Amino acid sequence: MKAALRHLLRGRRRTILAALAVFVPVFLLVVFLGMIGGMEKEMFASLTGFDTGHFQIRRVSDRPAGNALPLIRDPAPLLSLVDASDDVAWYTVRLDLPALAAAGGRSLGVVVQGISPAEATFHSPLARAVRAGRYLEPGDEGVVVGQQLLDALGVSVGDELILLGAHPQGAAGVALPRVVGTFTIPDPALGRGLVQVDLGVAQRLARTAGITAIVGYVRDVDGPWDAPRIVDAVARIRAQLPEGYEILDWAALAPESEMYLRIMRPITVAFMVAFFFLGGLVVLNTLYLSVLERTRELGIMLALGAPRRYVTGQVILESGLLATGAAVVGAVVGLGFVLGVEAAGGLPLPGAYEVGMALFGIEPLLRMRITAAEVVLSAMAMVAVAMAAAWYPARRAAALEPLETMRHAD
Amino acid sequence: MRTEAVVEARELHKVYVTGSVRTPALNGVDVTLSRGEFAAMAGPSGSGKSTLLHLLGGLDKPTSGEVLVSGAPISALSRAQLAQLRLRHVGFVFQAYNLIPVLTVLENAMFVLELQGLPLARRRKQALAVLAELGVDKYAHQFPNKLSGGEQQRVAVARAVVSDPAIVLADEPTANLDTKTSLDLIDLMRRMNEEHKTTFLFATHDTRLLDRVDRVIHLEDGRIARDERVR
Repeated sequence: MKAALRHLLRGRRRTILAALAVFVPVFLLVVFLGMIGGMEKEMFASLTGFDTGHFQIRRVSDRPAGNALPLIRDPAPLLSLVDASDDVAWYTVRLDLPALAAAGGRSLGVVVQGISPAEATFHSPLARAVRAGRYLEPGDEGVVVGQQLLDALGVSVGDELILLGAHPQGAAGVALPRVVGTFTIPDPALGRGLVQVDLGVAQRLARTAGITAIVGYVRDVDGPWDAPRIVDAVARIRAQLPEGYEILDWAALAPESEMYLRIMRPITVAFMVAFFFLGGLVVLNTLYLSVLERTRELGIMLALGAPRRYVTGQVILESGLLATGAAVVGAVVGLGFVLGVEAAGGLPLPGAYEVGMALFGIEPLLRMRITAAEVVLSAMAMVAVAMAAAWYPARRAAALEPLETMRHAD
Repeated sequence: MRTEAVVEARELHKVYVTGSVRTPALNGVDVTLSRGEFAAMAGPSGSGKSTLLHLLGGLDKPTSGEVLVSGAPISALSRAQLAQLRLRHVGFVFQAYNLIPVLTVLENAMFVLELQGLPLARRRKQALAVLAELGVDKYAHQFPNKLSGGEQQRVAVARAVVSDPAIVLADEPTANLDTKTSLDLIDLMRRMNEEHKTTFLFATHDTRLLDRVDRVIHLEDGRIARDERVR
């Protein structure tokens, strides 16, 4: 052990190069995994917060015309069921209506979401995204709209908006709510196409007492990695659902997003395997040079009677010490970077990323999240690669002929 | 009285083959070294001194013939068995000292004992005793590159004798040393030979060394030309 450490210190430049070959991939992997974790969390939060929820309970039937969801005319038994579930952290009801929003001679097709502000105020990310005015209050007669819609219609907070809505299973109606607040969210389609009103307003608009969905959120779900909890909760609720209703989880409600989240990590890991391979090659090359430099010394050891496994062990030990040290430093520095970015509330990304990030419904802000297991595995994987890379030089060292080495040396 | 043979060579032949070129190095050498001998092999360059030394120490294998160390034939031994033989029965001293640069003087002296599996306390005690005998114990915790050539060669001798091997084979041990240092080193090895009955065999041109050994084996063209007791 002492000798291996001294070897590392003796060939400082070589040691630094090999250590960097281990440090850099581990650091990058921790940072990349942190970025992926952060993106996954943000995308999941955006998707489930603004749109799908963790699950939705709907009425089963052929969709009515206009792409509207079928009405649940009597939600009470379903609400009791969800209310009684220990899995559910919170839920709300929603009445989604296709509608036309108009003001000052301009009009745009939107989805009117009738919600229950009592719950949404505390839980909905849309409530937290209000930048001007305020969010809805229980019994509110106003409307909150996206900034993009406000700009498109040329109205401001306090102005009246004409909502012409209809549900195929209800009737058509008109409402004239005032804009009480505007929200700013990264997804421009939602910002332009979604308006929220109190459930009562939406029900009057469609002339129905029904809703279209119960949107629920499962306890202790922080990201897509907690999806099994949602699956289990959904299964338990599904078992109790009355006939004619279905419960869909977020993956079924947004299959494209779910697939993207599912393949994002393997693709990143595949890139990192290439990084590790390159790092492994540098380690191999460095250790090979080290063995060449130490030909005489290793030959002397063999001449004095050292078994070949002793010589192999020396080279492997040296590489193990180097790889472990560099991998631990890489993991710690990477973890420090991730925690630092999170402590700072994320790193703002250049404006060029804004459009790209908006496609995934997230802000152009680098958020990071990593688990202890990911940090440890990143370091361990690189140590394993470095040890595998050390195998060839170690075998070569053990195959030296002591006499040849000494002739060469003398 | 019959003396115990520690190393024997019987009809040793060694031919080096490089491509289609065959270079005979030893042409039928018979020699026996007994316990406690202080002997040297002399001869011009290319006479086969180093080759014979390597064959006797199990560092190389003969083309034909047999080498016996402590009565046991070694020609058929595997590489691993030869390594064990060198570890247990043979000490080496090289012209260029060949100490391990990342080990201290004490660690160099203990190296063979460590390979033999001796506990630390014992190998430390044994190595320090030999280093003291050779007058280099004060450098125990220094690295070899801080020592002079003569001091390094003393450490190399300490490493060779520390495990009390059957024979110490020394290849031109004084070639890189000045006269005084050489004579001091030879005297030290002589003392170890007399006090511990350690068998020494040198391959050398050095007349300073040849004047102090008991027996000189003269090699010429891979054969023993003369084997004489000089003391």
